[in-house]
Amino acid sequence: MKDCSYCFPDRVVKMAPKHRLFFLPLFLFFSTLVFAQQTVRGKVTTVDGVLANATVQVKGTTTTVQTDEAGVFSISAKPNDVLVVTSVGFNAQEIPVSNRTSIDVKLSANSQMMTDIVVVGYGTQKRSDVTGSVSSVPKTRLTELPVTNILHAIEGSVAGVNVSQTSSVPGSSATVLVRGQNTITAGTGPYLVVDGVPFSKTGAVTNDINPNDIASIEVLKDASATAIYGVNGANGVILITTKRGLTGKPVIRYNAYTGFDNLSNWLTPLSPEAYVQKYADYKAQVPSANQGVLPNNFEVTNYNAGHTVDWLKEVTRQGIMQDHNLSVSGGSKDVRYYLSGDYLQQKGAVKGYQYRRISIRSNLDINITDFLTVGTNLSFANNNYDGGRANFYLAAAMSPYGTEYNATGNYEIYPMSPELLYMNPLLGLNSDRTDRASNLTGNGYAEVKFGGVLKGLKYRLNGGYTYVPTRFGSYAGRTAGNTQGGVASLSTSETTNWTIENILSYTRDFGVHHVDFTGLFSAQQRDYFTFGAGSIGFINDELSFNRLEAGSSLTGNTSYRDKYDLLSQMGRINYSYQSKYLLTVTARRDGSSVMGANTSKYGVFPSVALGWNMMNENFIRNISAVNALKLRGSYGKSGNEAISVYQTITQEGTVRYPFGGISTVGVLASNLGNANLHWETSKTLNIGLDFGILKNRINGSIDVYDTKTEGLLLRRNLPLITGYSFVLDNLGKTTNHGIELTLNTENITGRNFRWQTSIVFAANKNKIVDLYGDQKSDVGNRWFIGQPIGVIYDYKLVGVWQAGEDPSKWDPGAKPGDLKFADINGDGKITSDDKVIQGQTTPKWSGGLTNTFHYKNFHLNVFIQTFQGALKNNVTLTYADEAGRMNIPVATGYWTAANKSQTRPSLAYTNTRGYGYPSDNSFTRIKDVTLSYVFSQGLLDKLKLSSLTIYASGRNLHTFTKWIGWDPENNYSFRGSGDWTNNYPLTREIVFGMNVALR
Amino acid sequence: MKKKLIIFIGICVSLPLFFSCKKNFLKEDVYSSLAPETLGDSLGIDASIIGLYNHLSTFFSKSDAQGWPSVWHAGTDVAFVPPSQKQGIEVPYYDYTQLNSTDGAASFTWGWAYRMISNANIIIKNADAVAGVTAATKASFGAEARFFRAYAYNTLATLFGKVPLVTEPTTTPKTNYTRNSLDEVNNLIIQDLTFAVANLSDVGGFGSKTNADGKPAARANKWQAAQLLAEVYLRANKPDLAEQQTASIINSGKFALTNARYGIRAGQPGDPFSDMFIYGNERRYQGNKEAIWVLEEENINTVPGGYTGAPQQRRNWGAAYYQVTDVDKNDPTKTVTMNIADSLGGRGIARMRLTDWVVYGLYENNDMRNSQYNIRRKYYYNNTQGKNYGLQVPYTGPDTLFKIAPNTTKWYDFIANNTDGTFGFAMTKDFILMRLGETYLLQAEAQFKQGKLAEAAASINALRTRAGASQVTAAQINLDFILDERARELLAEENRRMTLMRTGTLVTRTQAYNKQTINPVVGLTNKNLLLPIPQSEIDLNKDAVLEQNPGY
Repeated sequence: MKDCSYCFPDRVVKMAPKHRLFFLPLFLFFSTLVFAQQTVRGKVTTVDGVLANATVQVKGTTTTVQTDEAGVFSISAKPNDVLVVTSVGFNAQEIPVSNRTSIDVKLSANSQMMTDIVVVGYGTQKRSDVTGSVSSVPKTRLTELPVTNILHAIEGSVAGVNVSQTSSVPGSSATVLVRGQNTITAGTGPYLVVDGVPFSKTGAVTNDINPNDIASIEVLKDASATAIYGVNGANGVILITTKRGLTGKPVIRYNAYTGFDNLSNWLTPLSPEAYVQKYADYKAQVPSANQGVLPNNFEVTNYNAGHTVDWLKEVTRQGIMQDHNLSVSGGSKDVRYYLSGDYLQQKGAVKGYQYRRISIRSNLDINITDFLTVGTNLSFANNNYDGGRANFYLAAAMSPYGTEYNATGNYEIYPMSPELLYMNPLLGLNSDRTDRASNLTGNGYAEVKFGGVLKGLKYRLNGGYTYVPTRFGSYAGRTAGNTQGGVASLSTSETTNWTIENILSYTRDFGVHHVDFTGLFSAQQRDYFTFGAGSIGFINDELSFNRLEAGSSLTGNTSYRDKYDLLSQMGRINYSYQSKYLLTVTARRDGSSVMGANTSKYGVFPSVALGWNMMNENFIRNISAVNALKLRGSYGKSGNEAISVYQTITQEGTVRYPFGGISTVGVLASNLGNANLHWETSKTLNIGLDFGILKNRINGSIDVYDTKTEGLLLRRNLPLITGYSFVLDNLGKTTNHGIELTLNTENITGRNFRWQTSIVFAANKNKIVDLYGDQKSDVGNRWFIGQPIGVIYDYKLVGVWQAGEDPSKWDPGAKPGDLKFADINGDGKITSDDKVIQGQTTPKWSGGLTNTFHYKNFHLNVFIQTFQGALKNNVTLTYADEAGRMNIPVATGYWTAANKSQTRPSLAYTNTRGYGYPSDNSFTRIKDVTLSYVFSQGLLDKLKLSSLTIYASGRNLHTFTKWIGWDPENNYSFRGSGDWTNNYPLTREIVFGMNVALR
Repeated sequence: MKKKLIIFIGICVSLPLFFSCKKNFLKEDVYSSLAPETLGDSLGIDASIIGLYNHLSTFFSKSDAQGWPSVWHAGTDVAFVPPSQKQGIEVPYYDYTQLNSTDGAASFTWGWAYRMISNANIIIKNADAVAGVTAATKASFGAEARFFRAYAYNTLATLFGKVPLVTEPTTTPKTNYTRNSLDEVNNLIIQDLTFAVANLSDVGGFGSKTNADGKPAARANKWQAAQLLAEVYLRANKPDLAEQQTASIINSGKFALTNARYGIRAGQPGDPFSDMFIYGNERRYQGNKEAIWVLEEENINTVPGGYTGAPQQRRNWGAAYYQVTDVDKNDPTKTVTMNIADSLGGRGIARMRLTDWVVYGLYENNDMRNSQYNIRRKYYYNNTQGKNYGLQVPYTGPDTLFKIAPNTTKWYDFIANNTDGTFGFAMTKDFILMRLGETYLLQAEAQFKQGKLAEAAASINALRTRAGASQVTAAQINLDFILDERARELLAEENRRMTLMRTGTLVTRTQAYNKQTINPVVGLTNKNLLLPIPQSEIDLNKDAVLEQNPGY
């Protein structure tokens, strides 16, 4: 740490003259403009501590600096100048210099301030000038919230953005839906852009972004905001901006946390006694069942010996996570840098699961001349999901009388032998597994500012290259239960993507008229390649998957390659009159390779937006209670090309058949192409109001929108008579309309105690307007005119048939213990005509409630999210005990002649009707609670630190739900289907962290 | 410097222009799949035909629903499902009250058949247009594809009755199908098979690995087309034409009933009938002179693509003897289970049990087809740790339902170091889809239908002579006797359900012979002589009414 001695105050003093010397040429350059300047230094703080990235501007000039990570700024100003200090989420302050050389400023928070600078597509804008619907993720969600994936930071905090954590496996991401679902078949996720360069469709995954490096996240929602992303805009756009260096002395920052996670909700399996009773009940219901106290030999032996195993305990453990992030940022006037290194390690609460990420980022900006700036954003991330994993599903299914270890002390392969369907859930721990993905991204830019008559004109060239290699290997040997002498498999993939963007922009004020123009010409290409191979039959388990040819037979060689291209032009004009009347007109033309060969492959996506800053009208300005008021309206068209490559082309797949012992390759038609396929288009009308009243103590925004999507890219199921099961087509229309509300209130603003509340609420109504142009529903595909896209269409469960009831005129053949379904059409039998729409699969409304309490240096943040009005098929109930073979949760239960259950069938029941047990998966979750302590300046001075915050945070603390299962939000699969080997419970995390900045 | 920079920037600007203006920047180049238009040459057509064999095998090797083989046998006269061994897909085929229009087995069969038809249609069209080959080659391509198309349509006609006829490749979505008449369907099948009989290759000599055209022996031959045609004529009630086909096969001299021991286990205990069902003996070139059409399978660990799904026949038909417990000879509180053994046919789980009619009433004692090598009725404790090692497992109690139930050995299979081994999921065994034994039975049926009872008796006696069973007289011949004989000869081999549906005897015979009280057959009525048209097909065919079969 000796090298760091310059961090201490005495060295700062020494450095100061050098600093000035360095800037000398610049000062000379500006000498014609500035005169009698002096350097004003100061520190910007908030109630939470120092404030980095705040903008300090000399009023009426272009002289602007930003505060560094320690909140410190240094600016040249004349003694009679006024400094304007602004920052996203805080009220601006104007402070006269008044001959001072040291000025400290304290800003008060306001998350909807109209003077914020927000990132919009291909540029930035003042919040007050934005005409579209653009929401920023609150800064508090980006700091002091220990999340491993950036999407988790967005969850619940932005109105109209639904982030669903469908898996809790360490290192898993989330699915995002902006303003409901427009499309049926095409991709539904928003388009991600990092530092202005496309991130989606480059092969990158959100795990490649270190949340510690994020400076801001903006979500573009309406057509005016998203139309400039053309065929990628229809599902919304998320703009992520990483931190950059600022002029000033280096700031070294160290953020770290460590956390502990456990299962947040236990779905307790039947106790050993109840399990034995279940089998007794099974025998009573299924006559030919194996006699004996339990079905399998091992179970009987263990039962006789009184030996039980708590399998869930065996596969779980104390999860631990830790993250260390070290960053250095700073710069001179001409070179600014941000360097960051991060190490994240997560040991899962289920044995064997782990996630590690190492990431490095280097963001650099260099002023080469006064008119040319170049810079780079380089990042590297390595995601590591290695390790053999325990099987949580099997642990929940396993008999408590199963045998865990065999005589030699190894895991018994079939704990319920001779039952071979259920292997030991711990066997995976003995398998070797590697699963890694890296992302090397290099983005560079060059920006030229023109002068003279071309003043205000700027040209920017962005070049991006992303290289994503992945490697997967697995080996299951003898101790992992393999009976074929070990099975090894390997696969690798490589995605390369380049993007080149030419951006021309022009900004100029002509009196009361402000004009800016942005033009874009860009191209993108992605190339993907993968290769896989396998081998079985090894002499021993020594070599694992590291030498496939050591196996007796090589299996499953595969390879695949594809390519994607995008070519775009875009233009945007912003005009404002007196900052009162705002106009934005945009148009984008996109050509995408994935569209059908019979189409031009190009589409044009225009939009227009109007804004009225009513605050700048005198009749409003005079109302003292109103501090901000802006009305916005936009209308435009955006596209969705989100189908994967080659979907428009009829292809034949290769298959094999052996003749006389010789494997012979044949071909079979695999899919029906459609060369006429083009993107689907969404037209969105958005009207919004931004407001602030009572000194901005109540502020927020309301947006209402109406989206009409046509030419849906529809994966339309076909009669199998055609020889194909589906075709992609541009068919049908959907609408989405909804309302979004963001409301921030300062409930108590005492000197020592403050209480703020933030509410986000969104309701979306989704409807299929037409499918095939004939107003007919498509029962086969479960698409109904006038209904949401995702609906549950199933029999209506009205109870369970009880002994003595006569089903002959209702459901002939039904036995006591069978599910009783409503005979909707009253024809005396249960047929597919008795299925009804029971509800939608997306939430009717969702919301987030954040309460923040400040008491002196203590801050408490409580975030609750809710998700209401959706149904989901429940696999836990559907598959029950798999015909007497497995254990079940206590909460599931089953019918017996004695308990006369009206919700669960008997153990003998066979679900031939494919009933999916749709259940209400609404939930309200105490998502996170964070208590932090910000050290005061006096203490920091003693510690010689520039800032120090310590915090404790709890995540997924409690969930209120009627759902029977491990979690209503996570998706679970049944044995042999989907991702069943990675069923993983939701975890509750308790995290302790600190953020420290050296002085 | 400024100038240089501007030049440099100029280059940067033009770079993307160069990329993007490159011709065909947006054209999709498919690197890893074949397009139909690249398969129009004779190599491509031949590969497309190989695809049909692959697709055919998916019907026999379906394993996502493990009860699949039981669909075709349980709930008929030959087998039932022990309640604890049911899987699900076969349930509506003995509890017929549950057989509805969303039935999984009916839906799979329907889709499987039309996918075969669709692929065959592409080949038939391409074969007509292929350049640079002789007319004979064109005809043989067309004949092979037409055979498979006819096979698929015959499956559909037998199970569903009237079905939509599709004879051209699908290039655009179509949703207005209607059902053609059964005559139209049968006429297309007969036309296709007549063409196939005329243009398919003859078989090669015994022992030859190739057919008369020099292609692998397992490729379709004219005799299998003739046999299928015979069956179709029987279903279409043209017994005289059927007999012409069976007679041509029998009189061709290309095939012979297996009357003597042969093959890889000829020196071990067994009989000629059991020799035919040992993997390694099943093909014509392996010595099976009776085989007309064999769908081959290979150990997937040594031959890539050796089988398609994971065939479930062994598990469905074999007894679950591995669950039989014995007391540990050293520790009476412990039990041990029987070992899975090669000689016991690997690991069965008895998803089906033969009906008592088959076990106790079907065979004469000295009928070879009822020998211990063909139907296993006794088990012996085989775990050396067990107290009763070497003794017979007593044939009592519920164990006789599935653990030591009498079972056919036709699907016995065990290959160590494979999934076929101790876990016993998939089975590596050929499917003998047609053999001369059945030709005699089809011939007997054709003769009986023409009133030629003496000739019918002679046809049946050809089989009974081989089996060492007593001879039958013309007076004994009726349809039921022929169906009994089919059960004796083709148990677990023919698709019993399709045979009974074809002959309209499913209801009467099932009610007469499938009479156990455990998991009894319920709800079987005449409507079940046809399967329901899949509801999803009716729903998706939105521009025309695809009429449902009566009663569903």
